[in-house]
Amino acid sequence: METEFRRVVVIGYGKAAGEILKDTADRQADYGYRLEFIEHELHALSVTKQICGERGIAFSSIPDKRELSAYLGEIREKTLIVSASNNYLFPAFLVERENMTIINFHNALLPDYPGRNAPSWVIYQGETRTGITWHYVTADVDEGNIIIQKASKIGPDTKAYELTERLMDLACEGFQECFDGVLSERVEAKPQGFSPKRRMYRSTEVPGDGFLDLQEEPEKSYRLLRSVDYGKTGVFPPLQTIVEGVQAEVLRYRKISPEKKKEEAGTLYLPLADGNLLKIKYRAI
Amino acid sequence: MEEKVLEILEEYCEEALDYTGENMMEEGVIDSFTVINIVSELEDVFDIEIDAKYVVAENFRNKEAIMELVRRLVEEA
Repeated sequence: METEFRRVVVIGYGKAAGEILKDTADRQADYGYRLEFIEHELHALSVTKQICGERGIAFSSIPDKRELSAYLGEIREKTLIVSASNNYLFPAFLVERENMTIINFHNALLPDYPGRNAPSWVIYQGETRTGITWHYVTADVDEGNIIIQKASKIGPDTKAYELTERLMDLACEGFQECFDGVLSERVEAKPQGFSPKRRMYRSTEVPGDGFLDLQEEPEKSYRLLRSVDYGKTGVFPPLQTIVEGVQAEVLRYRKISPEKKKEEAGTLYLPLADGNLLKIKYRAI
Repeated sequence: MEEKVLEILEEYCEEALDYTGENMMEEGVIDSFTVINIVSELEDVFDIEIDAKYVVAENFRNKEAIMELVRRLVEEA
């Protein structure tokens, strides 16, 4: 197995970064590259440092964007950067370096849903299909040529964190399929066909503007609740709502059968079209 | 209370029931997505709020740590 890349740098967090780190470590002996992992975003449940420790992979934590840019800018050898669940935007001076190739995993089927929190937006918009894209990184966000894509269905009850997990699994599958091609520089990457309707989702945007309107159709409310559901990870602030004229925030929600309905303080129920109820726990603020 | 916690663990991560090591997150027995499911279920079953500050590897290192967390939050509620 041959590659001209002398160094592979993995940047990211979460399950996908961890699995890709393992894959790149497993292939190190075949290709002879130097492998390192950079943690740019800190997460309470991250195990990437542990993986690095177990496998003898160089680990560094560089949370500051400027420091990270400076660090990467000093690399002179031919290097492949694998960006896996990473929100650091590579500056143009790095992307344009001849010794640098950067690939990124995006959690949607590009050119659709570029930008941040794509799993949330596809659920909120009521899509029934999404997927992942590995693409080369260019100076423009999520616009580089496509290396590989994999599709997934979105179920009627799928929550954002469940979809995120599924997409991370697909990202790992896709990576395993394309990694040799990327290393040998034999990938036939396809340009993205951009639609004039293409919309970039920004990190400051929240589905429904973060407000649960109880006058809306319950199905739409359920989509909104599922679209911002990342457990306690704080991707989005709690949804705000107004219950009987009082401002409140949503604590949690659940789809239940009508016989499980119990009259409790701070709880409301919305009827869903499938005969179930949407139970919403809230607290006045 | 313990029985309910064990039922939840059985549903989302059966391996956690037999785990006797130091940290099942670090050892890959349980991952962050499973923790989200378990937290959601615990909140619903015990009608408690598990604040993000408690959702750390230390509190999910084994079933005893999870039970201790729930016990504390139920008492505080």
